[in-house]
Amino acid sequence: MEPIASRLRRAGFAAVAFATALSPSAYDPAARRVAARQIYFSAWQILPGFTLVCAALSWVLIRIVLRISNDYGLSGYALEFTVRVLVLELIPLFAALFVGLRSGSAINTEVVLMHIRGDFDALQRAGRDPLRHELVPRVIGSAVAVTLLAFLNCAVALLLTYYEMYGASPWGLPQFLRITGEVFAPVAMVGLGLKTLLFGVAVAVIPITSALAVPRLQRMAAVAVLRGMVSLVLALVVIEGTFLAITYI
Amino acid sequence: MEPDSHVSPAIRHVELKAVLLLFLVAALVTGFVLYVLYARGAFEQTQKLILIADDSEGIAVGANLTFSGFPVGRVQRIELARNGKAKIEVEVPVKDVHWLRSTSVFTLERGLVGGARLRAFTGNLDDPPLPPDAEREALRGDATEQLPVLLARMRQVLDHIEHITADDSDLNASLANLRTVTARMSGRYGALGTLLGSDENAKKAIDALDRSNALLASLGGVSAKLGRTLDKTDQRVFGAGGVMDQTQKAVVQLNAVLGDARESLKKADAVLAAAQKVGANTASATEDLAALRAEVEASVRKIGSLIDEINRKWPFKRDTEIKLP
Repeated sequence: MEPIASRLRRAGFAAVAFATALSPSAYDPAARRVAARQIYFSAWQILPGFTLVCAALSWVLIRIVLRISNDYGLSGYALEFTVRVLVLELIPLFAALFVGLRSGSAINTEVVLMHIRGDFDALQRAGRDPLRHELVPRVIGSAVAVTLLAFLNCAVALLLTYYEMYGASPWGLPQFLRITGEVFAPVAMVGLGLKTLLFGVAVAVIPITSALAVPRLQRMAAVAVLRGMVSLVLALVVIEGTFLAITYI
Repeated sequence: MEPDSHVSPAIRHVELKAVLLLFLVAALVTGFVLYVLYARGAFEQTQKLILIADDSEGIAVGANLTFSGFPVGRVQRIELARNGKAKIEVEVPVKDVHWLRSTSVFTLERGLVGGARLRAFTGNLDDPPLPPDAEREALRGDATEQLPVLLARMRQVLDHIEHITADDSDLNASLANLRTVTARMSGRYGALGTLLGSDENAKKAIDALDRSNALLASLGGVSAKLGRTLDKTDQRVFGAGGVMDQTQKAVVQLNAVLGDARESLKKADAVLAAAQKVGANTASATEDLAALRAEVEASVRKIGSLIDEINRKWPFKRDTEIKLP
């Protein structure tokens, strides 16, 4: 397997999947049903649990930052630091990793098994496009899940930060608005949106391409899942690093 | 093989749930964007203020302009002006612009930690309001820039303090002297002994003071007597029937005497004229005296010879000497 060729294949598949997802004609009832099921499995099922876990981790992190910044007399920078680290970086990455480990691995296994069994050929013979009916709905489901979890937990983290800093008083709102407004500069906002979208797409596309790249042998299923997961984590780290570099360097 | 055989059993309202989640995602993203726009003041009416600074280092787009610690404006743009100075455009919300007046002062301060800070100071809030697009100079207040100067001065001050507190310093010598002085001051003659150098001198000074007091007391008596004398003199000299009065009378009398004298002199003058005549007569008479004398002398000689004759003839007397008149 040539790495560059496989990357190009992934990029090509991601572009095709993206274009297909944006075209309304792709959503016939069958495709819509699969997409709905993917969204349900990837986002709906894990939404309460993930939100709870993420809120707990956010709360711990916020407390640590506030405590340390108070100790060092830098409490004026605590809110900015919390929002920059937690909302802009950690929560989207955490959401992508969670969805990747849960849905990505499932997609990887499912697709590689379908690939080995020859389901896609059967679909094509039956006159159905495997890309439109099986693969793109999974990409859409993952992207929606990552975006939903990221933005919802960002909102929860912002609320927690406000509560930890100012309590239930509304008088901290102007300062909170001002500082968060400074942090969410246009570059940071575009970066956050683009990064979340890329995370969402990568979480589905990389496992799918890894699954389709292996020879159709039963013993290659595990290899495909392994490669897919490693590639996915690497891709997430690369995306995160690139956006950090663009924003701060 | 049918693909649907691989999927899980049917889930109730799966499409509805998916649509709900999609709406939730759309609402979250839209809400987030609206929140950020609101937080960044996109819906606020603003007024532009241009600050000119020598150096815009530490100021970033989005930095705050604060008034009494409250942010009243936000840096919108920073550029290099034609004159080489930094031109900082600040957007001030219209609801906060009343804190800034035409007499407000703006400073650009750099602390040891964090970025630079733009601050506004308004002395009188009743001054005319700041006009839109006003251009003001941002005064610099840089803590780190002043640090080397401060350190140099501190070192100088410490050197001085070290010099002052050295064992052989003037301050120590002064303190030793002060100790001697205070010891003397607590002695018998106190501060006087300290001032005059020794207790003996102080004793002399006290004796001199006592004598001066006695002298002053006697001088008081003298001056009282003198006063009385002067009163009497005044009375005697200038009082009624006093010296001055009598002198006045004497002067009047003197005038009369002088008149008399003048008369007497006139008489004397006449007497002198007469005397002159008498003199002339006397002169002529004197001329006759010589002849008279010769006659007298002749007579005397005759008398002499007569006496001699008698004596010769007088038996009782043997002395022949004859005394001439």
